[in-house]
Amino acid sequence: MSRLTRIRSEATADWKSFLRRRTAVFFTFFFPIILIVIFGALVRTDPTGDGLFAEPAGYYVAGYLAAVVLFTPLSRMGSEVARHREGSRFEKLATTPLTRTEWLLSQTIVNAIIISLASLLILALVIVLTGAEIVFSPLLVAYIAVGVVAFCGFGAMLGSYTDSRDGAVTASNAIGLPLLFLSETFVTLEQLPEWFAPLVNLSPLTYFARGVRASTYPDTQTSAIAGIDPALANLVILAAIAVLAFALGARSIPQTD
Amino acid sequence: MDAVVATKDVRKTYGDTVALSGVSLSVGAGEVFALIGPNGAGKTTLVRALTGTTTPDSGTTRVLGAHPEKTDRDRLGVLPQNFAPPDRLTARELLEYYTGLYEEARDPEAVLADVGMADAGRTWYEDLSGGQKRRVCVGTALVNDPDVLFVDEPTTGIDPAGRRTVWRLIEELAETGTTVFLTTHDMAEAERLADRVGLLADGSLVAVGTPGELVAEHGGPSTLTVETDAALETFADLEYPVSRREGTVVIEGISPTEIGRVVGRLEENGLEYTGIAWSEPDLEDVYLELADDTELARTGRGEPTLAVEAATGGEGGR
Repeated sequence: MSRLTRIRSEATADWKSFLRRRTAVFFTFFFPIILIVIFGALVRTDPTGDGLFAEPAGYYVAGYLAAVVLFTPLSRMGSEVARHREGSRFEKLATTPLTRTEWLLSQTIVNAIIISLASLLILALVIVLTGAEIVFSPLLVAYIAVGVVAFCGFGAMLGSYTDSRDGAVTASNAIGLPLLFLSETFVTLEQLPEWFAPLVNLSPLTYFARGVRASTYPDTQTSAIAGIDPALANLVILAAIAVLAFALGARSIPQTD
Repeated sequence: MDAVVATKDVRKTYGDTVALSGVSLSVGAGEVFALIGPNGAGKTTLVRALTGTTTPDSGTTRVLGAHPEKTDRDRLGVLPQNFAPPDRLTARELLEYYTGLYEEARDPEAVLADVGMADAGRTWYEDLSGGQKRRVCVGTALVNDPDVLFVDEPTTGIDPAGRRTVWRLIEELAETGTTVFLTTHDMAEAERLADRVGLLADGSLVAVGTPGELVAEHGGPSTLTVETDAALETFADLEYPVSRREGTVVIEGISPTEIGRVVGRLEENGLEYTGIAWSEPDLEDVYLELADDTELARTGRGEPTLAVEAATGGEGGR
């Protein structure tokens, strides 16, 4: 019970802090909107052509969702960890009953709420603006939740190993941007050099994109893994990565100088 | 007296810099222990070693009988030196937040009132003045009614009235049995609050004792400072050391009952004087004596005039 109380107290404080940073709230939701407006409505997909957006609109839903599941926790966690470190907040929290795992879990819950709201916005916009036809699978919720856990863990590591808030934000952009485009989100494997294909498997975001696509866009041919339905198999792989990233992220949070 | 806080031969280095060099001390239950010392002396490092937020290179630390990292955190209250809590929460929300982290905690309203912030409970932390912020921070260390309280420069930036509020709070905690370990640059704070004072300089604990003991041992003599141009020979037959410092004559070790003799000597010789002040040594003299020795040893440059300035003060007394 007290563990729940601690997590709720930490999450409530973080949620209120987020809501009161109007620019943060605005850009958190503006980012997916502008992404869809640019790629979905302005650039538009061209299923008959051979350009960047040559797949049907439904194919790219996984990419739009991947963008917020990747960038929001990575940049928020990175800067939050740096902010906590700069204000000696970890030094204070280390002397309270709140553990590092509980702290990261609280932050993850807040990020999950924010990203779920952003994802709903994305799904609505992508249907309205691009006419994408997708299936609403319950697995989508699981993918978003597990993806948030994974990237909150990576974000915590990023914040812990960079020496300032600026450094954390810069690093999250530098890492996030290549991951976003090289994880079968917007760029298909066929558009990448053949030698690069194995490297795509190293990105955690790849399993998110493949799994979400397999769950929401049945028209695409996502490969089964060891004979298991790709919608489930990719979730299992992503979950394993999430557990590892979360554990390493919690462990990386500084408790001593 | 059982030691609630104890260190033995604690050593900590950061690269070539020695932050703590074999520090040993113990603080008993209900005792208020003040750690004083110059900037960079190692005070914060020692607090961190005791709260488990830094790991000493060697030596042992114990709080409530356990290694700091194993100490029951529900019984600890800690205020780090440069603590900056989430700034878009109100003072009340901040205390509610920290209250929620403990098994048993006090009513946040009562804590707000204790630190004199009851009227500012609905103000965002970032909109509070520097002193108000520090008071809220002090409050965050009190929400769990701790058995041991570590406060690193608790009153820095707080105005005199607010400082006295925090002092009264610490005194009340000590009366109810809370052990308090504080660091400060305010000698009046240490002298008023502390049962014992430790002076840390260059990572070493150079003196420990009650304020009275330290003053008696290291504070030097009482002094009578006379603002006059009179020659030192005027006071030649007094049985006390007499010296001239910056337009004043300083007579050391003289009792206040003998001030009349000095005045009589001036008047007998028709000598003018514009001011006369008698002062006893205090903790600041101890600090300057011991810390200055360390500074001198380290840099080869002491501040010999500081003692005189401090002793005479702006109005010639303390």
